[in-house]
Amino acid sequence: MVGLPARGKSLIAGKAMRYLAWVGIPARVFNVGRYRRHNTPQPSAKFFEPHNEEGEKMRRAAAEAAVSDMLAWFREDQGVVAILDATNSTRERRRWIYESCEKENVETLFVESTCDDEEVIMNNILEVKTTSPDYKGQDPEMAALDFRTRIRNYEQVYETIDENEKHYTYVKLINVGSTVIINQIKDYLSSRLVYYIQNLHIKPRSIWLSRHGESEYNLVGKIGGDSSISERGEAYAKVLPELMRKSGYPPNTKIVIWTSTLKRTIQTARHLAGTPGFGKLEWKALDELDSGVCDGLTYKDIADQYPEDFAARDEDKYNYRYRGGESYRDVVIRLEPIIMELERSENVIIVTHQAVLRCIYAYFLNTPQEQSPWMEVPLHTLIKLTPRAYGTEEQRFKADIPAVSTWRGKGTSAHHQEFPADQK
Amino acid sequence: MDTLLTAEIVANSPRFRRKSSTFVDAIHDLPEKADLAPAQLYSTESGRLFHSGRIVIITVGLPARGKTHISVALARYLRWLGVKTRIFHLGDYRRATIPFGEDMPDDYFYVNASASSVLLRQKIVRKCREDIYHFLNHENGQIAIYDAVNPLAAGRRSLAKEFAKHDIETLFIESWCDDERIIEENVRRVKISSPDYVGWSWEDAVKHYLTRISSRIPQFQTMEEKDLNYIKMINAGERLIVNNCSFGYLSHRIVFYLTNLHIKSRHTYFARAGVSQEATYKSDSSLSEQGEEYATKMTECLLRHRETEKQEMLDRGEQKYELKPLTVWTSTRRRTIETAKYLHESGYKVRQRSQMSQLNPGVCESMSEGRIRLEYPEEVAKHDLDPYHHRYPRAESYHDLAVRLEPIILELEREQNDLLIIAHESVLRVLYGYLMACNAADIPFLEFPRDEIIEIIPESYQNEARRIHIPGLPKEIIPGSPQDLKIPVPPSGVTTPMAGGLGSPQEGLATPQNGLRTPREPERITQQHVEDVV
Repeated sequence: MVGLPARGKSLIAGKAMRYLAWVGIPARVFNVGRYRRHNTPQPSAKFFEPHNEEGEKMRRAAAEAAVSDMLAWFREDQGVVAILDATNSTRERRRWIYESCEKENVETLFVESTCDDEEVIMNNILEVKTTSPDYKGQDPEMAALDFRTRIRNYEQVYETIDENEKHYTYVKLINVGSTVIINQIKDYLSSRLVYYIQNLHIKPRSIWLSRHGESEYNLVGKIGGDSSISERGEAYAKVLPELMRKSGYPPNTKIVIWTSTLKRTIQTARHLAGTPGFGKLEWKALDELDSGVCDGLTYKDIADQYPEDFAARDEDKYNYRYRGGESYRDVVIRLEPIIMELERSENVIIVTHQAVLRCIYAYFLNTPQEQSPWMEVPLHTLIKLTPRAYGTEEQRFKADIPAVSTWRGKGTSAHHQEFPADQK
Repeated sequence: MDTLLTAEIVANSPRFRRKSSTFVDAIHDLPEKADLAPAQLYSTESGRLFHSGRIVIITVGLPARGKTHISVALARYLRWLGVKTRIFHLGDYRRATIPFGEDMPDDYFYVNASASSVLLRQKIVRKCREDIYHFLNHENGQIAIYDAVNPLAAGRRSLAKEFAKHDIETLFIESWCDDERIIEENVRRVKISSPDYVGWSWEDAVKHYLTRISSRIPQFQTMEEKDLNYIKMINAGERLIVNNCSFGYLSHRIVFYLTNLHIKSRHTYFARAGVSQEATYKSDSSLSEQGEEYATKMTECLLRHRETEKQEMLDRGEQKYELKPLTVWTSTRRRTIETAKYLHESGYKVRQRSQMSQLNPGVCESMSEGRIRLEYPEEVAKHDLDPYHHRYPRAESYHDLAVRLEPIILELEREQNDLLIIAHESVLRVLYGYLMACNAADIPFLEFPRDEIIEIIPESYQNEARRIHIPGLPKEIIPGSPQDLKIPVPPSGVTTPMAGGLGSPQEGLATPQNGLRTPREPERITQQHVEDVV
């Protein structure tokens, strides 16, 4: 990463890492700030003055430690993509990184984020002073002031990537992607990453996730199908607008509802779609995991009729593909355009199905593949995700409307059951 | 001559629609049926995808900068993704409007052209633009690619304004080069094959052509218009500058594709893997003796063919012609790796790609057709209806395979060396389907008999496929997978073709009915855009 503080570097780094992990590529972020905090947990702006020799020495040491750990990770742990999250603000520093990597046969891709839009920078400063560990427990006003001074200190020595570095592979994002320069991309993975990064923005927003209201199939324990929602499901659909309000969203913003093409999600979003300020899109890619021959069966039917399949699915639920249907892995692949579009969008509520929701949730909260298919996502619950510079914040809002559980634990009998309270 | 006359007739007919020959790349045809595209992920009622509106992609750049190549490649990819896309080469319209044999006026591209030239220019542009509107407004088109020089900022701004009035977004793609070698190679490859230069030496022809361009189009302004959406591609992809592209997934996807595209020409060869000892999917067994023999003969044949091609180029007067290095891609299946053994031993680079493993046959693995019909009558019926998308229990459909191969497609565009792909027939079908813009419905029926290597030669206007015969192979290993068999993937070893074609594909599609049946001497449509012979 390359860029002044408050240009969204950590956000991009964290997201790129999650995206790569989600599609199955081992990735890790090496945050130089974290190494530096080891010795100076809460430095003042003075520490970052260009002529503060002590500060410079310690920052250099932190960078060296991070790079050395990073290269060790490539060597010993078969890492594929490491993201070095720091300002890397001088040409000299970048050359040092480039050469260190080259020695170990590691390709470098510099991602620079530059921004002169004051509003965007201020938003980022506000975000950082409330969430950065550097300012934990400090007066927010003082923190903001100090942080701005820190940025000034960096500005004095900052050198943007220019013609002198045209032999590097780099991508330069100017004002949150309104102009992008892509230079010397040499391999497919880099092009894919650049593609992903281009879809990112750093405007504040939230994403809401909800399953459809309880369906008629849920009532009888059947999976798949295209049934309508039950009476209780309809009750959930009715309170959804109120639940959204309760979860909080900024006034006068447009929120787009995404549903699948199946009846139960469209019905669930019906009342919300009628609320002013909401738009609606239907996506085929949000349809429930296709359970092939098992579509319309209960777990018990499946255990009876396809006992081997039932066991095989428990063994490796992520990779198990239903006869004639899909696996979680297949769903992730088909959801990729959705994730890209979601990254581009601002406020979105997605009303979809259990398996699909698990995959989307896993993307935002970086849930490992072994766990994500077993996650509990109860009916009649609204999940609000708010991306922050240092991770995704999650809130859940339960509608007080009872529904059957559709969750089944690994290796258990073929019945839906309650999610164990201690795992919640 | 014939093609020129046809072009004129077609261009003067109410709706100009190019039809390429049945045996070549179908990128300029528009499928009649509203079929799903090979790698389409979802469909919408309007037929437009990505919830984007209608877009005109407008090329910018002097001749010999690879505009046509970019337009065609982009259209190929967008169509593959299921975006209804058509290319409008202004050069075609110019050629059709200016009577054959007449040269275009000298001041055609001048800013202060004479009244008659301005009128002519307007007439040509109007015709092209009418067709674009028709495509976008009445044929459910989503992207029209307008392939022209568009040298001036003022002209580009008024184009954007004009389209905006019709609620159509614009995206400019400029190809800009300051690397003389790239320009020269482009001129050599696509421009001076025209009759004007018969008997010229390559060097003189290139020089003459470039001088003519600069006197014809004296003014060219590179794109700096911050208010327009544009992608500037510098030196064939060395650098890309993306400005203000705000219409979402699709524009980013285009940039993604362009970062992998380059203008250089290279050949792609397709060869089957040799026969293996045990013909099942799960066993992943080694080559049989016959398979080994095939591997040797295939290798010899390919290398001999490349030498012949080189000799032909030398004979044509390209004195320093060198073959591009050859890279081999195989899947991670043993048979394909072993088929590449001799090439590997001779020092060619061989890469294994896990995505290129064959279609998973699922439960139908090593079942006879009779047994499949007996055990899965419903599946067979479903398969008949849609062989491209249907998935047998636990198997993959061709559609699954196409989606899985997407990274390979992008890397295929990225590869600079000549490329030999050794893979199972199912994989070859899909990759061929992409390169030759086949209809999805036809892909499962393409044939790749083992005694032929397919060579795909990219031309800027369209790709061309040739077959190279491998002599001296025993008859029993030649047939491809029995194309009419209603199973997802036939056993990969020795197979006998089924008698009696069950469910042969419909006739009258852009792709040949029984898979590719390229004539040995393919009919070449000579492309002479008027701008090419300025």
